[in-house]
Amino acid sequence: MKLIKKYCLLWLFAAFILFFAVADLFVPDREFSEMENRYLEQRPKFSLSKLLNNEYTPKYEKFVNDQFVGRDGWITLKSVCESALGKIENNGIVYGKDHYLFESYPSTNDDRIQKNIGFVNEFLSTLSPDTKATVALIPNSYAILQDLVPVGLQNVDQRSYIPEILSQIQGADTLDLTPVMDAAAASARERSAQREANQEETLAYYRTDHHWTTYGAYEGYRAFVESRGLKAVTLEELEDKLLYVPGFYGSYYNKCKLFSAVPDTIWVYDIPFSSMTINGEKKDSLHDPDKWNTHDKHAAFLWGNNGLTIIQSQNNLNHQEGKTSRVLVVKDSYGNSFSPFLTYSYDEVWVVDLRDVAKMSDIMSQAQFDDLLILYNFMNFASDTNIPKLNY
Amino acid sequence: MVFSSLTFLFKFLPLAFGAYYLTPARWKNLTLLLVSLVFYSWGEVKYFPIMLSVILVNYGAGLLLGRLKQKGSRRLVLAVSVVFSVGFLAFFKYSNFLLENINLLFGTSLPMLEVTKNLPLGISFYTFQIMTYTIDVYFGKAQAEKSLIDFGAFVVLFPQLIAGPIVKYTDISAELKKRSITLDKIQEGIALFILGLGSKVLLANNVGKLWTDVESIGFQNISTPLAWLALVAYTLQIYFDFSGYSLMAIGMGRAMGFTFPQNFNYPYISKSVREFWKRWHMTLSGWFQEYLYIPLGGSRVSPGRSYFNLLVVWACTGLWHGASWNFVLWGLYFFVLICCERLFLKKFLDKRPVLGHLYGVAAILIGWSLFAVVDLGQLVTFWSRLFTPCSNGQDYLFYLRNYGIVLVLGCVFSLPILNRIRDRHPTVCKWLALPFLSLVLVLSVAYLVDETYNPFLYFRF
Repeated sequence: MKLIKKYCLLWLFAAFILFFAVADLFVPDREFSEMENRYLEQRPKFSLSKLLNNEYTPKYEKFVNDQFVGRDGWITLKSVCESALGKIENNGIVYGKDHYLFESYPSTNDDRIQKNIGFVNEFLSTLSPDTKATVALIPNSYAILQDLVPVGLQNVDQRSYIPEILSQIQGADTLDLTPVMDAAAASARERSAQREANQEETLAYYRTDHHWTTYGAYEGYRAFVESRGLKAVTLEELEDKLLYVPGFYGSYYNKCKLFSAVPDTIWVYDIPFSSMTINGEKKDSLHDPDKWNTHDKHAAFLWGNNGLTIIQSQNNLNHQEGKTSRVLVVKDSYGNSFSPFLTYSYDEVWVVDLRDVAKMSDIMSQAQFDDLLILYNFMNFASDTNIPKLNY
Repeated sequence: MVFSSLTFLFKFLPLAFGAYYLTPARWKNLTLLLVSLVFYSWGEVKYFPIMLSVILVNYGAGLLLGRLKQKGSRRLVLAVSVVFSVGFLAFFKYSNFLLENINLLFGTSLPMLEVTKNLPLGISFYTFQIMTYTIDVYFGKAQAEKSLIDFGAFVVLFPQLIAGPIVKYTDISAELKKRSITLDKIQEGIALFILGLGSKVLLANNVGKLWTDVESIGFQNISTPLAWLALVAYTLQIYFDFSGYSLMAIGMGRAMGFTFPQNFNYPYISKSVREFWKRWHMTLSGWFQEYLYIPLGGSRVSPGRSYFNLLVVWACTGLWHGASWNFVLWGLYFFVLICCERLFLKKFLDKRPVLGHLYGVAAILIGWSLFAVVDLGQLVTFWSRLFTPCSNGQDYLFYLRNYGIVLVLGCVFSLPILNRIRDRHPTVCKWLALPFLSLVLVLSVAYLVDETYNPFLYFRF
């Protein structure tokens, strides 16, 4: 008894280490972490050559970390401790006002941006004169919701950088969506203030995710089609098609895992269509219905980031008899919630995600496009390495 | 594998200590040698032969020195073993630095060596450790070690292998042969280990991120208050990181029955640079004192020669920390300050302790700026931010808010305030020790699981 009392720390320490060391052997490995929305490292296969090339041990250490017993609980504990220390940042995500999460983005890759501008210009110079091209850049949430960002955060100034990039674009109209998103954020606040009890709040950007919301995407859509002189559908006309998907914890949450994060509600409009194909395969819904029930809800939009998606519908408010109007959108994941709205302004909507495209020239030769839109969010344009595929 | 990792804590630690405690006393050094070799090879298995050859050469040299009587041949043996040990260090650490400077000086374009891109883990530490043995045997201060196992265990002893403290052979030669392992010692060792782990994981990593953030913003884009905030953060990071590693090492040594020397003694309360170096990385300054400064003649020579000796010691101290001009500059900076202190400053400051503390803190902070910014052009930018008032919006507000509490905690724990409280209220503190240490351990594990920033700072050493 005396031994136990006197060496309390020793026994506790030994028990603690041994408990987890042994439990680690028996608790089965997980493949995927819902909380972090990523695949976890699996036990690496041992080989002598890997060991000698110093490839085995780093993998093994990552595996031990990823599969540690009670990983999610430990992560939450750290998050609680960080909050107690008054921290407003974890893993590159900063905590803003009104439960908003933002990215810490102190510097950007100027080199990559210059290269990407070059690739876009090269592509634009090959377009047929009948196709009217637009290059649009979407500012990220911290650049628009400045009053919610923690004071003094040093992030890249997208408000001056986006016009600078767009001024270097040759052979296309340019659309800086900054003023559009400013207006969207302001009207979202107004709508939220005046909403009825059964209505969800309106946001231009998600709190826990890096994307613009469906509402933000709608305002982007309206700005684009109006810049092309086309009529846009109004939100009132769409109101009876609106569905809510609550409980969305997005990519910012997956990174910082803030224990007190407030989940978002995804809006999705049940837009009618006559045909929807992805990489040639027919689909019977615009979005992946199964994904709404998983953690990674945003991946439901347009079935994720697929090479070529073609949507045909009878929605076009600008339809001219005997003519099929066609738009091609080259986009990142911001385009997934955005593209369905285009069915109200074009007969056919072609959507391309370069990450999953082998030969862009094949797609270009398949049809005549009235309009072409290159739509990227700023951070993605500054980092994406798939843009050269435009010229493949 | 670093101590502050889950692999170390929950795989290596139970296995190594389990094996060590279960082995009968006469075989314990063999177990120690084997687990230490596993530990070393885990980091980079290809450098294992280098360490092995250094062990064998110095072991052989020790045996020869024990037998040989003739002065000339003894000298030769010493010279060969020192050149061999230092040779590897010099080759890996300084050959590219040398080539770079030759290229710069003569406009040549000699290619850099690929093999020396990464330093063998802990080479600066174990080379210095092993030299204490051969030199001490040469001077008759130590007996030659007959057992290769015991000698090998001394060199690769995993607790202090990669980040110190630098344990002299004579520090533990008696304990290598006979040491007692008691529950008291194990418990003390655990407490030290947890404190070290907490220093590294909870304090150093937490404040260190501020410095890394500022580096990625770019020194040209920061305000003067943020520059100072970042420098304070770096100052705290390097202290808690380094002293944390040392504490973990000392704690594990204690739990094995070894008494390793203290390595840090609240360096930031120093009133002079001289005092700082008696409190900071004490085993390194002790090494340079004993094996370089005194053999050169120390201060028992003409004043001119004694300043020259100091210059040599500080240039080497600088270079030991990394093969780059900023580290040389950093060493010379301390040389100049220590000369000033010797000549007049010490007398002046001794009578004015408050001024002494201010001078000490300022000298240390400026010193760390030289240490932290490797590129000299960047250093000029950083200094221009520090010393010419420059506002850049309110960038410091974000960092003050994000890191304020951690910075305050860091400052508090870098001063001997807690020791004083403990001395005044021993019983209360005894009761608080267990919950405090448990909390530190559990939180450290939580931070390691969600590891977003856990650098190993000594890859240059």
